[in-house]
Amino acid sequence: MPSVRHPTTCCTLALIALSACAPVRAGDWISYRDAYRAMVVFEKYGGQKNFLQSQLQVAPLERGASLDGVQLILAGKTNQVNLPLDPLGRTAFPLLKGAYDENVALMLSRKIGGFSLRPRVSVALQADGVYEDGELRAACEQALGFARYGDGSLRTRQCAGVRFVFAKRAPEIGVRVHRADGSDASLAVSASPPFAGDADDGFPTVLYRFTGSEKVQLVTAYPPLAIVPVFE
Amino acid sequence: MTKLFVLALAAVSSASCAQMPATNSMPDGSRDMYVGLGAASKPRYEGGSERDTVALPVLQVQWSNGVFVSGMRAGMHWSQSPQLEFGPLLELQPRRDVDGQGESVGGIEEARFSLVALPLAAPDGNRLAGMPAIHSRLQGGGFLNYYLTPDWRLTSSLLYGAGNARNGAKLELGVQRLAIELGAHHRLALDAGLTLGNRRYNSAFFGVGETDSVNSGHPMFEAGGGLKDLHLGARWNWAWSPSWMLTSGVQATRLLGSARMSPLVERPNNLTVSTAIAYRF
Repeated sequence: MPSVRHPTTCCTLALIALSACAPVRAGDWISYRDAYRAMVVFEKYGGQKNFLQSQLQVAPLERGASLDGVQLILAGKTNQVNLPLDPLGRTAFPLLKGAYDENVALMLSRKIGGFSLRPRVSVALQADGVYEDGELRAACEQALGFARYGDGSLRTRQCAGVRFVFAKRAPEIGVRVHRADGSDASLAVSASPPFAGDADDGFPTVLYRFTGSEKVQLVTAYPPLAIVPVFE
Repeated sequence: MTKLFVLALAAVSSASCAQMPATNSMPDGSRDMYVGLGAASKPRYEGGSERDTVALPVLQVQWSNGVFVSGMRAGMHWSQSPQLEFGPLLELQPRRDVDGQGESVGGIEEARFSLVALPLAAPDGNRLAGMPAIHSRLQGGGFLNYYLTPDWRLTSSLLYGAGNARNGAKLELGVQRLAIELGAHHRLALDAGLTLGNRRYNSAFFGVGETDSVNSGHPMFEAGGGLKDLHLGARWNWAWSPSWMLTSGVQATRLLGSARMSPLVERPNNLTVSTAIAYRF
């Protein structure tokens, strides 16, 4: 299986959201306004995005940094919100006019060392863990469309597949390809960063490449943390 | 003598730019505003060898409808695309007289800040002595910027109306590297560009007419149109909190073409350095 870590063969989408904005690195606080500007791009994007979800990621710069129990705390005069981070450091970001106008800080509940803030776009998860090949392709195309919306230099990229990212301590890691004739095949598991640019390359991941036109289903025995579109 | 300017903020958030701030997505009815005060060291006028240190107010405001004020410039973002910015642009050209040039405004965002105010000089050897004052003028035009990637931007602006005859036009072209991360809360923006002026623009600021020659003692000089200068700039923003920041910049400019040959120019290379503390509302 080709490595998805090679820079010329893999480009996850996460990156693009900030039109003119580079990732915002922070210490213990983050400007809500800057995060808002990064995240509202997806909200305002007028293209197809029904298969996608957008989240704000707090990405530690050190490989071993733990995010267990870490929250982003928005403590403004008009808004008090705790935003728990998932194992990938992501959280749904609330777009609040009151918090924007107050210019409040987003505080980390504890120190995690240096980190970057990035808008991340991934494929929305299915409750039953079953994914149609056609839907994954459509999701990847939607993600690529959004990525190109923010970065014209991605015009030449094409959707190559999706990467399932699992928790390190997930009870069961794996993705089965279920074909129309009833046969099943398991995809290989490898360790890699969840998103491009992430420091922790130890997450179990499964790459599913789009090949042929055969209609298959992908079945996950245990919910992945994220399904990340892969561009080449 | 100390004069006050209004300056344009540069590169507060991630995107920095030169003449105008990048499109700022925000809730309807909201705004993003920086106000501050600092100091700048700069030549008394374009091409002047003497330097002046001046107080430097900082002002940059953007509204959700796209209108912005950035130093001496104001305009409106019309584009809805994150890769393209365009719209109308106004700029107040500061007055230049025997004492130098004054009253310009800068902004915090973007790297090609316009801390260009030129001061009042006039000691012995002042090459503006005997030259007529060039009055403040409101120039009108537009801007067009294109993002090669989210971090790299090509910029352009065309303005008309400078000079006492209000017929000077200048075209500015540039490239900017936006918001390089230098650790937590530090951002660096870089820019490079050139300015072209029409004959009337260059004549207004660098030409010496017959009467001017008699009054100033300079030989007559007819400035032609074309390349006026090349410039390189950098802006460093250090955010102390969501509200407070230190914004500092440096810009080197080299006069070229007929502007460089003008008898009014004492040195073709000029450097402007500034720093200011700004509050984000």
